[in-house]
Amino acid sequence: MTNDDFKLKAGLAQMLKGGVIMDVVNVEQAIIAEKAGACAVMALERVPSDIRKEGGVSRMSDPQFIKEIMEAVSIPVMAKCRIGHFVEAQILESLGVDYIDESEVLTPADKKLHITKNDFKVPFVCGCRDLGEALRRTYVEGAAMLRTKGEAGTGDISEAVSHIALVKEQINQLLAIKTEKDLNAFAEELRVPIEVLREFKEAGGKFPVVNFAAGGVATPADAALCMQLGCDGVFVGSGIFKSEYPEKIAAAIVHAVTHYNDPAKLLEYSKDLGKCMFGITVDSLKSSEKLSTRGW
Amino acid sequence: MTQSTQIVIGVLAIQGAFREHIQHLVKAIDELGLQEKLEISVFEVRDEETLVRCDALVIPGGESTTMSLVAQRLNLLEPLRQFIASGKPAWGTCAGLIMLSSSLQNKSCDQQLLGGLDIETTRNAFGRQLDSFIADLDYSKFIPGLTAFQTVFIRGPVISKILPPSPGKPKVEVLASLPEERGSQIIAVRQGDILGTSFHPELSEDVSFHKWWVQDFVLSKITIT
Repeated sequence: MTNDDFKLKAGLAQMLKGGVIMDVVNVEQAIIAEKAGACAVMALERVPSDIRKEGGVSRMSDPQFIKEIMEAVSIPVMAKCRIGHFVEAQILESLGVDYIDESEVLTPADKKLHITKNDFKVPFVCGCRDLGEALRRTYVEGAAMLRTKGEAGTGDISEAVSHIALVKEQINQLLAIKTEKDLNAFAEELRVPIEVLREFKEAGGKFPVVNFAAGGVATPADAALCMQLGCDGVFVGSGIFKSEYPEKIAAAIVHAVTHYNDPAKLLEYSKDLGKCMFGITVDSLKSSEKLSTRGW
Repeated sequence: MTQSTQIVIGVLAIQGAFREHIQHLVKAIDELGLQEKLEISVFEVRDEETLVRCDALVIPGGESTTMSLVAQRLNLLEPLRQFIASGKPAWGTCAGLIMLSSSLQNKSCDQQLLGGLDIETTRNAFGRQLDSFIADLDYSKFIPGLTAFQTVFIRGPVISKILPPSPGKPKVEVLASLPEERGSQIIAVRQGDILGTSFHPELSEDVSFHKWWVQDFVLSKITIT
C-alpha cells in the first residue's frame, strides 16, 4: 500500500471527526439518521442489543440490504464484517461501502488473526481495548480508523471509558521509557513488534488515525464524556433506535458532540428526551457474554 | 480597508476536519513571519458570539448535510449567511465549498446552503470512497511556483456550473480544473473575497495553499499600521 492510499483511507475518517456514526437496520432508520445530522451510518441487520438477546451466529449483513441503504442516503455508509473474515470484507469492498468495521459485535471467523487490511483499497475501522491492540490493528494490519471496544448493546459506557484511559496510560508509560531493554519488554507485553513501538514512540505517541468512542453510548452526556476524554467522534448503536424518541435523541447526541465542552448547551440537549434505551450493566455479564473480549 | 493589526481567523467547528485547517493556518502564519508584524489568531467557531469577532472564516471538509442541519438547528445559519454577505474573506473546502455554493445539484434532506459563490456544485461527484484519489496538480497560474501540489479528493464535490453573478458581485473566476485525462471538472473558484476548493489542502503535507489564502484574501483586506 502506498502512502497516498493510506492518506485517503485515514482522510475520510478525518472528515467524520466531530460527528456521530449511527447504527441503522433499515432504510427508514438510515433516513432518520441522516436528517438528524449523522456524519455516516453503519448498515447492519440487527443492532448489538438484539444480537445479544437473540444470540446465534452473527454474520455480515445481506449485501442487497446494505445496497438499499447506500442508495437511500448521501452520507458515507459503513458495514461490518466478522473478525478475520477477509472474504466478507472482499464482498463488502466489491459492493463499494465507504468503510468496513471488522467488528467484535459479529461472531469472529478467525480465533487468531485479524484481516490484513493493507491488502484492501477500502478503509477499515477496528476496535481496541489497549495500546497493543491499537498498534496491531493500525501499524501492523493497516486499519485507518480506531474506535473503543465498549460493551456493545448494553448502554453502559464504563468499558469504553476504561479503554480510553488504558490507551492513554500506556502511551504515557511508553513515552517515559528510556532504555532499549525497557522498550523491548514493553513491546513484548503489548504483543507488538519492537520497530512498531519505536516508530510510534518517535511519532510522540500520536496515532496517524482518528479514534472514535464506541460501545455503550446511550445519551448526549455519554457522547460528550467520550469527547472530553479525547475521542474524535462517536459511534452510537442501540442507543438511538432502542429509545423512545429516536429522532430527538439522535439530534441531541449530534449537538452534544459539536458542543461537547459546553455544559450549558449540554444541559439543553439532555432535556426532555423520553426514555433512553434499556441498559444492562457490564458487571452483570458473564465473561462469555462480553463482546469486547473478542479480538486478539 | 480595515485599520487594524489584530486579525482573527475563524474555522467553523460544527463537524469535520477543522483542527487540520487550524494547524495549517498556524503553520502558514508562522512561515510567513506574520506574528512579528501583527496579532493574528485562529479560533474554532461554534457559536454566533465567536463568529462576529472573526475577520475571515474557513469552512472545512466534513459532511455537508451534518454541518448544514446542525447550523440550522443551532441558529447559526443566518449569522453565517450574514458573515458571508458582509464581504469578509471566506474559504470553503469540500463540504465547505458545498456550503458556500448558491446551488446544489443533488441536495439531500433539508440541506440549506449559505451561498456566497454563484455556482452550482455536485456532491460526491466522483462516486464513493473507493473513487477518492490524490493527484499532484499545477496551481502556478495563481500561486507562483506551486507546480505539483498534493491534491486530496475524498468523496469530493465538483463545480458543475458557473452561474451569472448576483447583483453587485464580481464574476466567478475559475482558478483550477482537473487535467483532461481526469475529466476537466472545475475544482477551484474565486468570487471576490470568497474561495472555494473541492479538495482538501488541509490534508496536504504542504501549507502553500493556506499561505496564499492568508496573503491574498485575509491580509489584502488589512492595512498594516
